[in-house]
Amino acid sequence: MAGFDLLSDQGLRLDGRRSNELRKIQCKLGVFSQPDGSSYLEQGNTKVLAAVYGPHEIRGSRAKRLLDQVLVNCQYSMATFSTGERKRRPRGDRKSQEMSSHLRQTFEAAIKTELYPRSQIDIFVEVLQADGGNYSACVNAATLALVDAGIPLHEYVTSCTTVLAPPPATSWDDEKLEEGEIALVDASHREETSGSPTLTVAALADSGRLVLCQVGQRLHLDRMNRALERALQGCKDVRDVLDEAVRDHLANCGISEAASS
Amino acid sequence: MIFCLTKSSVFIMGSSNLSCVPGQRLCLADDTHISGCGTYERQGYIYSTLAGEARVVEKDKSYVVEVHSSNEQSIVPTPGDIVTAMVMMVNPRFCKCMIKCIGDVVLTRPYRAILRREDVRAFEKDLIEMYQCFRPADIILARVVSFLKTIVNYYLQGINLPTTDLHSYQLSTAENELGVVIAHSEAGVAMVPISWTEMQCPKTYNKEPRKVAKVVPESIPVDNANME
Repeated sequence: MAGFDLLSDQGLRLDGRRSNELRKIQCKLGVFSQPDGSSYLEQGNTKVLAAVYGPHEIRGSRAKRLLDQVLVNCQYSMATFSTGERKRRPRGDRKSQEMSSHLRQTFEAAIKTELYPRSQIDIFVEVLQADGGNYSACVNAATLALVDAGIPLHEYVTSCTTVLAPPPATSWDDEKLEEGEIALVDASHREETSGSPTLTVAALADSGRLVLCQVGQRLHLDRMNRALERALQGCKDVRDVLDEAVRDHLANCGISEAASS
Repeated sequence: MIFCLTKSSVFIMGSSNLSCVPGQRLCLADDTHISGCGTYERQGYIYSTLAGEARVVEKDKSYVVEVHSSNEQSIVPTPGDIVTAMVMMVNPRFCKCMIKCIGDVVLTRPYRAILRREDVRAFEKDLIEMYQCFRPADIILARVVSFLKTIVNYYLQGINLPTTDLHSYQLSTAENELGVVIAHSEAGVAMVPISWTEMQCPKTYNKEPRKVAKVVPESIPVDNANME
């Protein structure tokens, strides 16, 4: 895998970040008026829209309803213009279904599902531009949309990726470089596809509980800890950014002291 | 009373409310502090589940910590609630309704419900004719029935549960205050209740049979001069 180094001699990555820096996150809640909750999130060049409907009566197959908790229905979709080459099938292909099911598992852990039995919550996520960390951006955007919809959550659930990069000026052929490895937080597309193992983690940020952990390539257990620590720290940092955005939104909406009820 | 929080914000009861986010620790959960709506308890602390403002309400010598958000629309019918529903379809065995309001809260989306023949009245359940109790487009007040109770009753009577019952909410009007509140006559005019079982059209003076609720709606003008 010759070519570029993920990390230069000065410790800078391809886009000028340090190894523990996240990409710039810009987000906005309540971008649409039709869904109950919506949000738009940009994490570097990855741009994602999320919309939440619910809780409402189960649509479609009645057999799917759960008697003691809410049914969380997620759909992950990528716009045809989101990737370098035009994407033929925006949703319904294997990868989208797998992502949808991961999102569903993530949010079943975060939402207080026991409050709405026999009902359904729909979460739709659309990736407008994919530049690495798609799943993470989707989770972060959907968390904001759920907060906007007023659906009770245990905590914020945030997600972050980590790439274990070889130290500069070496190549992957050298087996002994595990000590010098550096975990790069919030990987972009180029870093993800460089061949280094990528760890994607979704966590309940305040309590540090893991919700989802995914590794695409082979990663030895000894190297797992370092990557996991960095990823959890990344999740906490994302949580702080999202928290600020939610508080700004609350302040703008205007919480009146004498609320009607 | 002052509760210290994880960040620099301080929650003082009785003064301005605190704006909180999901997962924010509000206070200790002990004998005097109970978690109310919009909060949950975990490992001895009370956390918020919504993004909104946290309030402390005094209730029976203890404090209930609640969180209210600006778009609180997520309400689901629970057994025991009084709901306002519109009748959609009437059948000799049951009638199908759409729940429009739960208590005082108007729903953004209606929920489907079923009102069975046996639940219309408390006495003489087998002498009921559904078409003489409800007609399509009637607005009724009903109570959401507890699901477990229905299943237990059926079991004791040895009757097979019809499969349609478990797919919608079950309603009951077996009380004096429940039943038809607003109904329109065949002439299209809102009718006035004249007895437990009849309503009269003020335009054509035709009487139509309904299972009338004891509550007289304020908006319907009562024409005293022409009522018998």
